[in-house]
Amino acid sequence: MSVPLTAAPARSGGNAFIRAVHAISTLCGWIAAGFTVAALLVTCHMIFVRAVLKQSTIWQTEAVIYLMIAATTIGLPYVQRLRGHVNVDLLPHALPIGARRVLALVTLAATIAVTAVIAWYSYDVWHQAFQRNWKSSTVWAPPLWIPYLALPLGFVLFLLQLLADLIGLITGAEPPFGIKDT
Amino acid sequence: MDPLLLGLLVALATIVVLFSGVSVAVGLLIVAAGFLLAFDGPRSLEMLPEIFFADLNSFTILSIPMFIIMGAAIASTRAGADLFEALERWLTRVPGGLVVSNLGACALFAAMSGSSPATCAAIGKMGIPEMQKRGYPDGVAAGAIAAGGTLGILIPPSVTMIVYGIATETSIGRLFLAGIVPGILLMLLFMAWAIYATWASGNTAVLSPRHYSIRERFEILPRVVPFLLVIAGVLYAMYGGVATTSETAAVGAVLCLGMAVVIYRLWRPGAIWGVLRDSTRESVMILFIMAAAGVFSYMMSSLFITQSVAQWIAALDVNRWVLMAVINVFLLVAGFFLPPVAVILMTAPILLPILQAAQFDPYWFAVILTINMEVGLITPPVGLNLFVINSISPDIKLKTILWGSAPFVACMFLAIVILCFVPGLATWLPDLVMGPA
Repeated sequence: MSVPLTAAPARSGGNAFIRAVHAISTLCGWIAAGFTVAALLVTCHMIFVRAVLKQSTIWQTEAVIYLMIAATTIGLPYVQRLRGHVNVDLLPHALPIGARRVLALVTLAATIAVTAVIAWYSYDVWHQAFQRNWKSSTVWAPPLWIPYLALPLGFVLFLLQLLADLIGLITGAEPPFGIKDT
Repeated sequence: MDPLLLGLLVALATIVVLFSGVSVAVGLLIVAAGFLLAFDGPRSLEMLPEIFFADLNSFTILSIPMFIIMGAAIASTRAGADLFEALERWLTRVPGGLVVSNLGACALFAAMSGSSPATCAAIGKMGIPEMQKRGYPDGVAAGAIAAGGTLGILIPPSVTMIVYGIATETSIGRLFLAGIVPGILLMLLFMAWAIYATWASGNTAVLSPRHYSIRERFEILPRVVPFLLVIAGVLYAMYGGVATTSETAAVGAVLCLGMAVVIYRLWRPGAIWGVLRDSTRESVMILFIMAAAGVFSYMMSSLFITQSVAQWIAALDVNRWVLMAVINVFLLVAGFFLPPVAVILMTAPILLPILQAAQFDPYWFAVILTINMEVGLITPPVGLNLFVINSISPDIKLKTILWGSAPFVACMFLAIVILCFVPGLATWLPDLVMGPA
C-alpha cells in the first residue's frame, strides 16, 4: 500500500500562501514523526520499568496512545501534502482533462466540507473537556483537553492544506488529482 | 426506511464516492456523515470526533506504526539484496536455485518488513536482473517477485493481520501464527510453478546449479544472521509471554533501526529522517483509514444496517460454503480496487457476525481473506506490486509482468481451495502454541 505512483506531491507554483501552507504541513510531518518516535521511546521505557526494575507502570500506556492519536491527526496535512492518502484514481485517469478538473473540484469541496464539520465539532469536544475539566478515568488521570486538542488542531491544519490544494487547483499551480500525464 | 434498503443505498453511495478519486479515508467520512445527517439528524454529527478519537484510543494500534518503522528501517538498507545473495549461495544445489532463493528471500524479507511493495522492491532490485542474466524467462522472473512480495501481508508480522485483529477483536498473536503455515504453503506453490514454467520454457540449462566455495557461503552470513535473530527475538517476545504485540513491535523497531545504523551505516540524519518520513506517511494513512472506517461502521450500526444485513443473510439459510464462495468473490472484487486495509476495515463489522453464524473459524478466515487480498496486489487495475516491478525493471513490459503473474494468482486460488479442505493448515500452529481458541 502506498501512494498512487502517478501522483506527485502538491506543488506551490510560486503562490506565497500555498508555499507557506506547505511549510506548515511539512513541519506537521516532523512533529508527527517526533510523536511517533516519542511513543517508541516511552514504550521501551515502560518495558524497562516493568521487566527490569520490576515496578508497575502508571502513565506510559496512556501517554503512548495519546501520542499516536496526535501523530495521526497532526500528520494528516503532511500526508495530504505528499498526496499520501490512498485513493482509487481509475476514473480521474480515464476522464478528459476538463471533466477531471470538475471532478477534482467537487471531491476537494466535499473533502473540505466534511473536514470542516469534524474540525468544528472537535473544537466543541475540546472546549467542553477544557471548561468542565474532564479527566481520564485512570490512575494517572491526565486532563482530557490535552489529548483532545489533537483533534481540532489536526483537522484545522488539514483544512488549511486542503484550502491550499483548492487554490492550487483553481490557479492551475497543480494538475487535478496530481495526475501529470494529460 | 427499511435498513436493508438503506444498506443498499450506503453500498452504492460508497462505491460512487470512492470511485470519484477522493481519498479512501475521507470518502468513508463523507458517506458516514452524509447518511447520519440525512437519516439520524444533524445532532448525530456531534458524535463524530469522539468516535474518531475512540477508534484510535487503543494501545494495540501502536503495533501498526512500530511494525511499519521496523519494515522501513530494513527496506532502507541493502538487507534484501544480502538476504537474496545468502540464500542463493546456500540453495545453489536445489534445482532452479535462483528462483527458489528469490522466493525464499521474499518470504523472509516479508517476515521482517510486513509490507508487500517493500518486499518486491527490496528483493526484486537485485533478484530480477540476476534471473534475467542467467536466462530465466522475463515473465517468470517478474511474476515470481510480484507474487513473492504478496507474502508480506500473510507472513507475520503483518499490518493487514493486525488491522483484522483490531477490527474483529481477535488475538493478533494467534493471527500471526495462523499465517505461517499457509505462507510456507503458498511459497512452495510459487516455487513449484516457477520451476515448472522455467523448465517448460525449454531453457533447462538455467536450472542447473552454480558453484560457490565454502568461504563465499560463510562470508555473507554476518550480514544476514542479525536480522534473522531479530525475527526470532520478536517471535520469542510475543509467544514467550514477555511482551504484548505493541511492545514487541516497538522493541523490533528499535532493534531494526539500530541494526540499520550499525550494520548498514545508516547514520546520516537525512537517511534516518527518510525512514521516519516514509513510516509516518504510511502509518498516518492507515490510521486515518482505521478511524474513518470506525466512523463508517458506527453509522452502519446506528442506522441498524449491520444488524439487518447479518440477520437477512442468516435467514437466507444458504449452504455455508456457497456463502464462503460469495464472500470471497465480493472481497476479491473489492480487493481489485481498494487496499487490503480498507477492505478489511469496511467489511469486517458486517462479515464477522455472518461468519460466526455460519460457524467459520475467524482465524482461518483471516488467512483466506489475506490470500484473497494478495490477489488484488498482483492484478490490474491497482495491483501495486506490478507497478513496483515495472518501476524497478523498466526493460520488462507491463504485459509480460501481468502474464507472468497470472499463474501465481492461480496458485493463490489453489491455496484457498486447499485451506478450505484442510483448515488445519491455518489453525494447527496457533492451537499448538497457544492452546485451542
